[in-house]
Amino acid sequence: MVKEECKALLDALNKVTACYRHMVLTIGGTSDSQNLREELKKTRQKAQELAVANRNKLTTMLKDKTVSKEDRAEFERLWVIFSTCLEILEIDMRRALELGQEFTLNVPKRHLIQTGMSGGTSGVAARAMSVQNMKYEADHNIDVVDLKDLENEINQVGEMMYEMEMKVSVPQWTVEAKQDPGAELKSTISVGASSIGMISVEENKSFCDISKVLAGIIFTAVLIIAIVLAICVVKLS
Amino acid sequence: MTVRRIDQGQRFRPRMAFLKKVEALLVEMQDPNSGIKMHTQRVMITNIPHAMTGADMLHWIMQRLQITNEEALHLGDLMVKYGYIYPLQEPKNLTLKTDSSLYRFQTPYFWPTQKWAADDTDYAIYLAKKNIKRKGLLEEYEKEHYNVLNKKINHKWDFVIMQAKEQYRTGKERKKVDRYALDCKEKAYWLVHRTPVSEPLSNTLARQEIMYYQQAIMKSTVKSSVSLGGMVKYCEQFRTNDPIISGCLPSNPWISDDPEFWDFNAKLVEIPTKMRVERWALNFSELMRDPKGRQSFQLFLKKEFSGENLGFWEACEDLKYGDQSKVKEKAEEIYKLFLAPGARRWINIDGTTMGITVRGLKHPHRYVLDAAQTHIYMLMKKDSYGRYLKSPIYKEMLAKAIEPQETVKKSSNNPFARRHLRSSPSPIILRQQEEEAKAKEAARIVDITQVMSKLDRRSQLPPPPPAAKCSFWLF
Repeated sequence: MVKEECKALLDALNKVTACYRHMVLTIGGTSDSQNLREELKKTRQKAQELAVANRNKLTTMLKDKTVSKEDRAEFERLWVIFSTCLEILEIDMRRALELGQEFTLNVPKRHLIQTGMSGGTSGVAARAMSVQNMKYEADHNIDVVDLKDLENEINQVGEMMYEMEMKVSVPQWTVEAKQDPGAELKSTISVGASSIGMISVEENKSFCDISKVLAGIIFTAVLIIAIVLAICVVKLS
Repeated sequence: MTVRRIDQGQRFRPRMAFLKKVEALLVEMQDPNSGIKMHTQRVMITNIPHAMTGADMLHWIMQRLQITNEEALHLGDLMVKYGYIYPLQEPKNLTLKTDSSLYRFQTPYFWPTQKWAADDTDYAIYLAKKNIKRKGLLEEYEKEHYNVLNKKINHKWDFVIMQAKEQYRTGKERKKVDRYALDCKEKAYWLVHRTPVSEPLSNTLARQEIMYYQQAIMKSTVKSSVSLGGMVKYCEQFRTNDPIISGCLPSNPWISDDPEFWDFNAKLVEIPTKMRVERWALNFSELMRDPKGRQSFQLFLKKEFSGENLGFWEACEDLKYGDQSKVKEKAEEIYKLFLAPGARRWINIDGTTMGITVRGLKHPHRYVLDAAQTHIYMLMKKDSYGRYLKSPIYKEMLAKAIEPQETVKKSSNNPFARRHLRSSPSPIILRQQEEEAKAKEAARIVDITQVMSKLDRRSQLPPPPPAAKCSFWLF
């Protein structure tokens, strides 16, 4: 029960981290804009909330002495995933700060690097925030204003990681990965297969249904004809 | 927490000041008026903007920096090799071709930096993503890297797979054209930072590598618990002595403008401070490091008639750290004074060391007397040092030592008050004084020796044989 919750929270954090990484990749390029900076801000705030939620849940579970051995191993594995995710998030935040300071947007002489990318990242941001469409409501100079907040948040994340290290001692190297090398292939194939399978199952089901209905109709029709014939035979004889 | 990179100190950090300069140049290249002309790249049915030809780039660099063709070509080539610009048609060929082959700028996230090294975890995520995209068709070297990384960061592997899948799915949220461009960029980044090995190592290189690794294995290693314990012990012992951590006693000269602290702790001050004298008792090397300590030790050794040991040690130090031009004559002098049979201040070292030293002296260099010096050092450490610490000389020094009182800061907070800036004596003058003191010392010894040798001749005492165990040698 708790394990599933932890896993779900971790998946969410993972998703937001991936989206954040995608967005940081675009800073400084031609698809950089004030909107992108706002998206970055919102995404990382969401990431921080998720990180805090994850940490609280996992620390309570890891501090609980009544947890069984397999469960504890599982929680340790989740803990390692969580701390690695947080490290990647922190690095991306630091890089975003560096790049944001270098590539401020409203300076006329400062040209953005022509990277060949022209589209926006609103889809990515929407995926991160789990909304349908992104709303942009920030000022025109959010790229500069946001940097201070970003610095504070980086410090916060750094402190959180330090506290985590101090409070919970999980030796990282003892965790064994559950997935074998090449697992990503299997799961996507199985995802593909399962989706195809699901489609075929549905089709089968619908076919079955139709055939069943048809069979039913034919059966009842045959039954009625048989009854009518029997009555006729009886009547005639 | 992962140790991202072991900082081995400045010697191992290459100077990359050029990075900022190249970046400034790159930004200038983007200027729509004076920058490089952009073309579009045609990929199947789409057009991706912002491609430039190698020739245009070369021409722009030559014009902007006013340099020759060769230099501009070299600079452009370096830009490609470092990953600021990547080729579009032949991604693996990281050179600048001056024909119409196309190049594009790398996104700033993937620019080379010193702070963020290309990390193994990121590479693993990239390989996993590529695996998903190409359905298992990785190149040979990538497959090898994949397997190696799986073993190396196995504890993070679940995260790697999760993140790779998520990044792959997130990529689908972008425009198809952008996704293609981004994939090219990531590929270019990893081609720069994880260059595929094109040919196997040649024999000589392989042999060199094998030798290097064999030597590395043979290096003596210390358990980190032991070395950390040693460090902790050192810190605890020397903590009170450290002027920055524990404060320095009259007052910190940098704060109070009062150089008393330096006066009290001068090299050869008459009466040293208590803390300094106590420090000599911690460790033999502490005693030898301090010139005042050596002076006191020399007095003690003279009383024990083994002063030549310290004299020899100091002469060896002088040889090691002195002028290169004087090495030969200094070595000869030391031999005549300390090592030759029947020398005036003959030191007692065992036969093998003497043999090695005499042989080495045929071709003297700075470190020719190292073996003998180490022998004498260990002799002094094991033998005389213990007695020194119990001797009246040391105890007297300890009793006489002063403990400076903490001075109350003269509250002259007036920023306009004229400060008395006393300059310390010039190092040239200090060195002259030292040399004079040394010469006086040497002269004194010579006098005594001459007197004693006259006495010897008068009493016609046979000189004791050089192989005597104890070093009672009247001089």
